Amino acid sequence: MQLQKKLASGEFVILAEMEPPKGTDVVAMVANAANVKRTVDAFVIPEMSNAVMKMSSLGGALLLQSKGLETVLQCCCRDRNRLALQGDLLAAQALGVPNVMAVSGEEITHGDHHKARAVNDLDLMELLAAIQTLQKGRDLAGVDLQGAPSFLVGSTVKIPTSDAARLDEVAELDKKIATGVKFFITPPVYETAALEKFTSLLKGRPVSIIPTVLLLKSVGMARYINRLLEPKIPEDFINRIQKASDRVRECVQIAAEIITTLKNRGFNGVNISTIGWEDKLPAILAAAGLEFGG
Amino acid sequence: MIKAKPKPLEEIIDNVKDFNKLLIAGCDGCVTVCEAGGLKEVKILAAALRLYFTQAGKQVQVDEASLTRQCEKEYLAQLSDRMDGYDAAVSLACGVGAQYLAEMYNHKIVFPGVDTCFMGVNEERGLYSERCQACGRCILAETGGICPIARCSKRMLNGPCGGSDKGKCEINPDIPCAWELIYERLKTLGQLDRFERPVEPKDWSTSRDGGPRKIVREDLRI
Ligand code: SF4
Ligand code: SF4
Repeated sequence: MQLQKKLASGEFVILAEMEPPKGTDVVAMVANAANVKRTVDAFVIPEMSNAVMKMSSLGGALLLQSKGLETVLQCCCRDRNRLALQGDLLAAQALGVPNVMAVSGEEITHGDHHKARAVNDLDLMELLAAIQTLQKGRDLAGVDLQGAPSFLVGSTVKIPTSDAARLDEVAELDKKIATGVKFFITPPVYETAALEKFTSLLKGRPVSIIPTVLLLKSVGMARYINRLLEPKIPEDFINRIQKASDRVRECVQIAAEIITTLKNRGFNGVNISTIGWEDKLPAILAAAGLEFGG
Repeated sequence: MIKAKPKPLEEIIDNVKDFNKLLIAGCDGCVTVCEAGGLKEVKILAAALRLYFTQAGKQVQVDEASLTRQCEKEYLAQLSDRMDGYDAAVSLACGVGAQYLAEMYNHKIVFPGVDTCFMGVNEERGLYSERCQACGRCILAETGGICPIARCSKRMLNGPCGGSDKGKCEINPDIPCAWELIYERLKTLGQLDRFERPVEPKDWSTSRDGGPRKIVREDLRI
């Protein structure tokens, strides 16, 4: 509930992605989350990101909730049909998960189980509408629920770079807002200009935009991202990592600087993504001057 | 062959009611065989539409055509000097043909006139049933020539679910249990030992799950 309250009061929120393990050993996951629990408002539990098989988001979220940590469940169209999605949402809420984020999921061909069948029974908009239907006390077959969930609902938003794409994305975002989405998480942000150009079009809308801050792990990773993905990482950051005597420290420092910039520019919060380097969260938060303690 | 059934007339009328010059385009291929979209069905639909427009007091030109196959450019090209004269076309070919017609005549509105259902056989006239889901890696050699992907309700690949009753599927008593058929056929062929070999989870990447598919036959493209 912390997340909902803070977003409502306009306070800067800190989300951290906490990847569940590929396996049953949850010791590191729990320890990494516990290390930053005072500072992080909620842990986003990815649902098999990049279609790589792992413990499910529901499993990871329930685990952290059972330790008293607030989570954001990721609910993904790729692997579950409408029965499974609804069933998992009911389970999540009954067991204490207050926040959900709907995602469509990366293609199965991008992951590590190429032979699997994708489900995609509902698309993202249909999933968001399904969440609203459940919140109104009905399931997708129109049957009354015995107790309706009440989630804070989030989704993803792109960072468009052309005028036409910006208008398209605003329209897309408005559709999502109409289906009850209250916060949007962006792809990784390295510079704020493109994002701010987009968010300036969103004035007056009752939503929070939460940029993702990705912890770069190496020059190789940065180059790979710049080859394949948008937005691009500024060369200056890549040079700094290359020249640093302690490269990991420099990566942490860069992430912290981006967080500070976003905070100073008045964004609603950040979503820190460390993809496997969750143990670096304390250092990132400390370098960003955010309160930290176990 | 591809099996389709005619769309309800009301749905077609709803699509075309505001146009003045219509072409009803049939296909002499699969949809002729299942009597959903050949020249005969083109004539029936055109007559029904003319009647509707007359009763509605509208002057609408409804023309008829049927092509050898709508899934081939060479045959679609036969419409090239006529297409400009129409506001819209109703394709009675399968979804493949209807799309190729629209692709070829990009600026024309094309409505589907049939619901394309599956790849199957003519059991009898007016009775068609599914046989193949185009999974992209055929396993018929393992299953006595009977496809469990297309014909088992649960798409089981390792034998029956155990719920069949008198040879009928537990989900739909109107269809035979595919695994009972497979068992009987393997017995006839003396290949029951196939049941002892477990089948790995199937690779669905060659099916639609791997994304829209394409065949590139370099040997044919030289
Ligand atoms: S367009 Fe469709 S119905 Fe006609 S021949 Fe081709 S596949 Fe068969
Ligand atoms: S195994 Fe695949 S290709 Fe062979 S009949 Fe079945 S669905 Fe068709």
